[in-house]
Amino acid sequence: MSPTLLEEVPPPRLTPVEGVSEALQRRWGRPGGRAYAVLRWTGAAVFVAIVLGLLVSLLVSSSQAFGHSGLSFLWSGTYNATKDVYPTGVYIVGTLVTTTVAIVLAVPIGVATAAFLSELAPRWLGAPLSVLIDLIAAVPSIVVGLWGLLVLSPVFARHVEPFFKKVPLVEWFFHGPAYGPSMLLAGTVLAVMILPTIVALSRTALSSVATEDREAARALGATRWQVVRTAVVPGARTGIEAAVFLAMGRALGETIAVAMVIGNNYALPHSLLAPGATLGSAIINNFGEASPGLDRSSIIGLVVVLLAMTALVNVGGQLLLRRRLRAVGAVA
Amino acid sequence: MSSSVFPIDPNTLTDAIGTRRALVRESARRSLARRRLLGRVAIVLCVVAVAISLTPLVALVAYTTSRGIRALSWGFLTHVPTPPGIPGGGISSAIVGSVIIVGLAVVMAVPVGTMCALFLVERRGRLAGSVRFAADVLTGVPSIALGIFAYAVLVGPGSLIGHFSGLAGSFALAVLMLPIVIRASEAAMRSVPRDLWEAGLALGVRRSRVVRSVVLRGALPGLVTGNLLAVARAVGETAPLFVTVLGSTLLVTNPLQPMGALSLTIFSDGTEAYPAAQQIAWGTAFVLLTLVLLLSVVARVVSARLNRQAR
Repeated sequence: MSPTLLEEVPPPRLTPVEGVSEALQRRWGRPGGRAYAVLRWTGAAVFVAIVLGLLVSLLVSSSQAFGHSGLSFLWSGTYNATKDVYPTGVYIVGTLVTTTVAIVLAVPIGVATAAFLSELAPRWLGAPLSVLIDLIAAVPSIVVGLWGLLVLSPVFARHVEPFFKKVPLVEWFFHGPAYGPSMLLAGTVLAVMILPTIVALSRTALSSVATEDREAARALGATRWQVVRTAVVPGARTGIEAAVFLAMGRALGETIAVAMVIGNNYALPHSLLAPGATLGSAIINNFGEASPGLDRSSIIGLVVVLLAMTALVNVGGQLLLRRRLRAVGAVA
Repeated sequence: MSSSVFPIDPNTLTDAIGTRRALVRESARRSLARRRLLGRVAIVLCVVAVAISLTPLVALVAYTTSRGIRALSWGFLTHVPTPPGIPGGGISSAIVGSVIIVGLAVVMAVPVGTMCALFLVERRGRLAGSVRFAADVLTGVPSIALGIFAYAVLVGPGSLIGHFSGLAGSFALAVLMLPIVIRASEAAMRSVPRDLWEAGLALGVRRSRVVRSVVLRGALPGLVTGNLLAVARAVGETAPLFVTVLGSTLLVTNPLQPMGALSLTIFSDGTEAYPAAQQIAWGTAFVLLTLVLLLSVVARVVSARLNRQAR
């Protein structure tokens, strides 16, 4: 092409490619466009209807309980003909304690595992182990619960719980008889359950840190570990935090596995070795026997409380994840 | 070098520089040794963490497999459960129930999810953003809440069906699968190059046809992977089925009746104190575990093939 030819072309307002692309995307009026549009909008409408329906039906079904006891439902629950009260406060405490135990156990181990698999391990070791852990993340919670009840619980009763009773300083948390089923066991089972999630998500966050950051740290004379600590982990911080939030949401909302190993005791727990109850385990244990009316309504009220707690944690996690993806430039 | 400028004996100068240099070298050596030691300790701690995290996970799978295989036999898979105390019996009712419940959930969730994903792919802006956010938050909603929702809509007094049924369980599982299907399908469709869309449209092909033959075709492996992962998640769910399907020891094929399910069998037999019931629970757990792992592996293989094609 000669330079004169180029000069004759007027400067375009849009680049031609963008103009064509936009024109193509706008051709709605053509036959076939309408039916397709209806299809897409139907899909979105059904989904939105389901989400709204979920919220509305749970709120309506629990309105009787909340109407009966107002905000005090959050602590003392509602009157129940056969069991005096549903002690919502006890369940909330149980949920928070078991989740805390799970997070304390799973997060340091999970993040260190992720750091090893993504940064420190040789490829021949890291890659297959990562796949293994990703696969184990799919193990259904009922199987983890069964294992916790039939295998872990006797081990806890015989060895783990008596051991903690002997350790000075922390023994205060571990007084009372060692049965096996307890808040501690429930927290441990939850930790096993959320561990693969934490490892998988943190590993993704760690390996998405730019290679340049690693090289820069290395060029400044950092050792391999210092590269991880000063460049990779800070770069992946939001991703790891999001992983923790999402895992916490899963631990808060777990029902069946917890119901199998927590011992289902409806009094305020005085020690980690005491049997207890969480929102999830209380719902699953009482829903079948609840009579219609106020009784069932207050159990659905527990679902609403649980939903609010997990929503809070999950929205936090999603916002963090989004901020991170935006920083990386992966979200449109 | 610059000895002529400074009125100092060059030898002393060299000495001073040499001492300094030795000092610096020495402290650098020490710092490096210290940092290397720290690194080594940290790496050892990480290896310990890997060992700690792998132990329960591998033990869980290995124990379930070893106990489960012992329970497994042809009769175990093809017979209905016997009443407590009578030996023999199997889990055919639970297998059939799980297949029907999850199958119906797939029939409900996949079309709606795919349509909703198309909506997200085609539309930009606030509405699409909100739908996407709702899907992400719904992924984290506890499954028991979805079960109670299905109960309120389909099972409870004055609702559409009015009693426990397999269909109600399918609905709960479909709601559970929806956000997974939506987000995975959207990602798969977005991975189809924009040029292909435009090439189709530029040929004057109807938009619906472009979507069908170019976008859906191109995204097919991704769609399959996403749907398989959603199924793997749904198959193992217990809590939503517990409040909607109720469970049954009879071989039921009518989804409007209460049915059995694998996860419900594990729960009811696993919490019994009798070794025979626990044996059945382990066998069922092994069947469920195999099914879920198989689905995940197939999903992984499909997506690996997709990645290889893309490259």
